[in-house]
Amino acid sequence: MMVSCAPSLRLEAVDVWFAYPGAMATQALEGLNLSVQDNEFLALLGPVGCGKTTLLRIFAGFLRPTRGVVRCDGSPVDGPSPRRGYVLQESAIFPWMTVRDNVEFGLLAQGLEPGGRRAISDELIGLLGLSAFESAYPKALSAGMAKMVEVARVLATDPSILLLDEPFGALDAQTRARLQNELARLWEQRRKTVLFVTHDAEEALYLADRVVVLSPRPGRVQAHFQIKLPRPRSLETRFSPEFSALKRRIWESIG
Amino acid sequence: MGAHYIDDVELLPPYRSLFEEMVFLLQSGILPSSIAASTGRILAGFLLGATVGISLGLATGRSRWAESVADPWVTFLRFTPALALLPLYVVWFGYGEASKVLLIATNVAVVTLLGAHQGVRGVPRVYLDAAAALGASPKLVFRRVLLPAAFPQIFSSLRVALGLAWVTIVVAELIDAKMPSLGYLLTLAGAYPRVPTMVIGIATIGALVLAFDLLALLVHSRATGWMKRAE
Repeated sequence: MMVSCAPSLRLEAVDVWFAYPGAMATQALEGLNLSVQDNEFLALLGPVGCGKTTLLRIFAGFLRPTRGVVRCDGSPVDGPSPRRGYVLQESAIFPWMTVRDNVEFGLLAQGLEPGGRRAISDELIGLLGLSAFESAYPKALSAGMAKMVEVARVLATDPSILLLDEPFGALDAQTRARLQNELARLWEQRRKTVLFVTHDAEEALYLADRVVVLSPRPGRVQAHFQIKLPRPRSLETRFSPEFSALKRRIWESIG
Repeated sequence: MGAHYIDDVELLPPYRSLFEEMVFLLQSGILPSSIAASTGRILAGFLLGATVGISLGLATGRSRWAESVADPWVTFLRFTPALALLPLYVVWFGYGEASKVLLIATNVAVVTLLGAHQGVRGVPRVYLDAAAALGASPKLVFRRVLLPAAFPQIFSSLRVALGLAWVTIVVAELIDAKMPSLGYLLTLAGAYPRVPTMVIGIATIGALVLAFDLLALLVHSRATGWMKRAE
């Protein structure tokens, strides 16, 4: 297949060093090359501390690499932008705003009038089945619901790129599976370029078109897997022999 | 020796009974007018001090430069008793209302400055990052993220400052001491000495502190309904 368009996201030979006063400098990423194609769902898999979050923060525009080039749609990344929707690993839902105000925050930042904001938040809140909670404060939500509100908040401004940092990392297995299904469904409806960071091989496989495995620190690309599992993904996918075979190969690559 | 002095005073009522004294203070209008006068000074000093203190605290919370300029002054004033500032204020601001209000305002400003400063500093980084990633301007971040996130801490400093304002009033009203004034009422009662008046004066200030604090709590719980609370 000819790739006609430039990759959405691109890292070239990126090194990241962190220096702390009174401690040895540590290298988080080493000579990292990574491209995410337009509308590709790429899962970045790696052990805790391998620099996954660092990599995502670089793409989000919060961190400049010590060396190397970061590009988004061909132009250098030089700060955060709502074009790249970023869901942080920690819970970052605003507890002082209702679910609706949270979802509308990015639209407010764009200066959209209340009617326009409402139309978009109505749709997203409905899509995620949170209509009953639209006027509730986050304290009334479960952790899984709160995370989905964060995803909705990012989706509201319709970014072409999504950067998701272990969004389901802190959830129980059941909730995780449910939210993975919702995310897969959402992505199949509105294709976007997604970079999804996780330490869970099964989650990476279930969601992604391609899985990139990072080495322990300093993070380098250790292996690539093209995932040709049929979409829409379902329970059948999870228990198919292809899924198991891929999972095994990923585990083998981790060593 | 001192015992003679003490012997002449009834340590606790009835010199006149508390009740009679209360009736007298109310009917003569001494107590109501004193409450009104002192509350007015408290509110003026509190509003002025809180406005200045919170504004400065927000600034020092956001800028290291502002912090390094303000920090020595804050520490200096924080541990300087109102009574020590009193003569200086009289010289600077005159023997009148201005000095009283400014003395209260100083104490309120120092406490609220610290509250606002720590409130802003304590806002978790994730909220600021999330807001920046969503494209929020610094102004929007300030109004919709920083301020509400720092609000609980700012508010609790306001509560402390309000109590402190009532502590300061008794000292502040030594300036240009005349009636009506709760502080001067207490000073006079001490000079006579007239124990029931002292007891009623102290109880009145205590009751007013409680009432104001209750009001503050009410506002607080309405304004921070979003917070998680222990049941």
